[in-house]
Amino acid sequence: MHSTTLKRYSYTLAIPGLLLYILFFIIPAVGGLALSFVKILGFNLSSARFGGLQNYVDVFTQPNMRRAIGNSFIFALVTTIFKMGIGLSLAIALNRKMALTNALRTVFFLPAVINTVAVGLIFSSLLHPSNGLVNGFLRAVGLGGLAQSWLVDTNLAIFSVCAIEIWKWSGFTMVILLSGMQTIGRDYYEAAEIDGADGVTRFKYITFPLLLPAFNNALILSIIGGLKVFDLIQATTQGGPGSATEVFGTLIYKSFGAGRLGEGCAASIILAVVIAGIALPAYKYIANREVEM
Amino acid sequence: MRRRKRYEAILNTALCFCALIILIPVFMVIINSFKNQTEAARMNLKLPTTWHIFENYKEMIREGGIFRGFLNSTIITVICVLLLIILCSTMAFVLERRKTFFSKLIHMTVVFGLVLPLQIIPTYFVCNFLHLTHEIAAVFVLIVANMSFTVFLYTGFIKSIPIEIDESAWIDGASHTQLFFRIIFPLLQPVTVTAVIINFMAVWNDFGISIYFLNSARNYTLPLTVYNFFGNHNSDWQLVFANVVLSTLPVAIVYLILQRHIISGMTSGAVKG
Repeated sequence: MHSTTLKRYSYTLAIPGLLLYILFFIIPAVGGLALSFVKILGFNLSSARFGGLQNYVDVFTQPNMRRAIGNSFIFALVTTIFKMGIGLSLAIALNRKMALTNALRTVFFLPAVINTVAVGLIFSSLLHPSNGLVNGFLRAVGLGGLAQSWLVDTNLAIFSVCAIEIWKWSGFTMVILLSGMQTIGRDYYEAAEIDGADGVTRFKYITFPLLLPAFNNALILSIIGGLKVFDLIQATTQGGPGSATEVFGTLIYKSFGAGRLGEGCAASIILAVVIAGIALPAYKYIANREVEM
Repeated sequence: MRRRKRYEAILNTALCFCALIILIPVFMVIINSFKNQTEAARMNLKLPTTWHIFENYKEMIREGGIFRGFLNSTIITVICVLLLIILCSTMAFVLERRKTFFSKLIHMTVVFGLVLPLQIIPTYFVCNFLHLTHEIAAVFVLIVANMSFTVFLYTGFIKSIPIEIDESAWIDGASHTQLFFRIIFPLLQPVTVTAVIINFMAVWNDFGISIYFLNSARNYTLPLTVYNFFGNHNSDWQLVFANVVLSTLPVAIVYLILQRHIISGMTSGAVKG
């Protein structure tokens, strides 16, 4: 019996996909680890010499690298907090029957389908120090003092980039949470109403616990996405001014462009370890606290 | 009751203000793509004093290679999405149904790619070693980058298909390929729609991977043409805005027509988990 099952589901069907995965994911993952210990010039494998931990030392002693680690964490943390906060507020506000709901949902989700480069350019214009709409608005309402050189100021730039990411993805988080809320049965709320629970109590004891699976997924997606960020930064500031918005992604791209491939691999491996180190325990911890539906 | 109504009115107003935060930038880009150079450089919301719709778009199209980009994006996206659907549905089917230790291990490894970032520089080495052209390398890497999620999506759905269906088809003499393509694959249609939407969006809008592999105006996809256009024309905001509008238009139209499917498709993986 068992052998017919195995014949019925022969690996031949899966081989093309697995082959691609091995060639372009597994081998690079293992090879990347190996290359991170190798000093190499460009793509010339014959120039490769074992370098021990030299690449890691180089990466960590670069001033850019410390900036990149810090910025990646700031970016992941700030965007996650705001995306979850804004997404949750919007989801709660839209989780009722009214004519506007559909139109608003469509609008809030719109930035998620626009490509990152276009979004980056739109915000390069909006955040332009002298002519941008954001500063123009602040001056028009008499808050000219708050006008900033958003993407140019070295202390502010990373937060401005965070704001763009929040603008793009809050609607996406909202939809995940909204769909999660709509799977919660009406009878829970009816029972709570009979017991005299008010809105806050209902949220705390019914909505939120039952929303946790969707909430966790959105949270993990956001943290991982935040640590991996590359395209938005590349499209707006390219890691600049100076190294003010440098993150792992831009650092790897720069080492690639400069032919410092071993260093790029080392940075890439560090990122992978950081992500695995954060995402897996976080997921396990939160998953254990989920309420069974 | 009246208090409730007032509360609703305040809430709706607040929501509409939030919607403006999305819509005003969109409006700003469109309206400024119709202005002349000096007015567009002011980047405000005023209507243009003179309309320059045709000149701006004509000049931008002539210099931006946007049609070439559209064509490249279409070819790359269609190939990637088709291959992803076929490769991942078959993989998910075999790995889910075999239920051996080894198949579970492979499945875990594949899904682990959801968390682990792609090691792009070593991938470049592999493509170099195999003498792949830039375009083919980009296609393969884009496929692999979206593979874990697609397999994950299919596995969840295949679990819900009763194994008795496989057994009766097997008894009727279907081979394993017939069993999959004739019987199982048609049943996967709902999740295939979702997978098409997610992968279409991911590949069409990709910038982070294609920037490594596509390196000349000949093979640029739309996001790359926009990126490079800005690099060459960063003082001609009217052209940059026209470029942003035209390059976003196809996906915006598809979104407005299929919004319900796209919204639920793009988020479905994260809802149930």
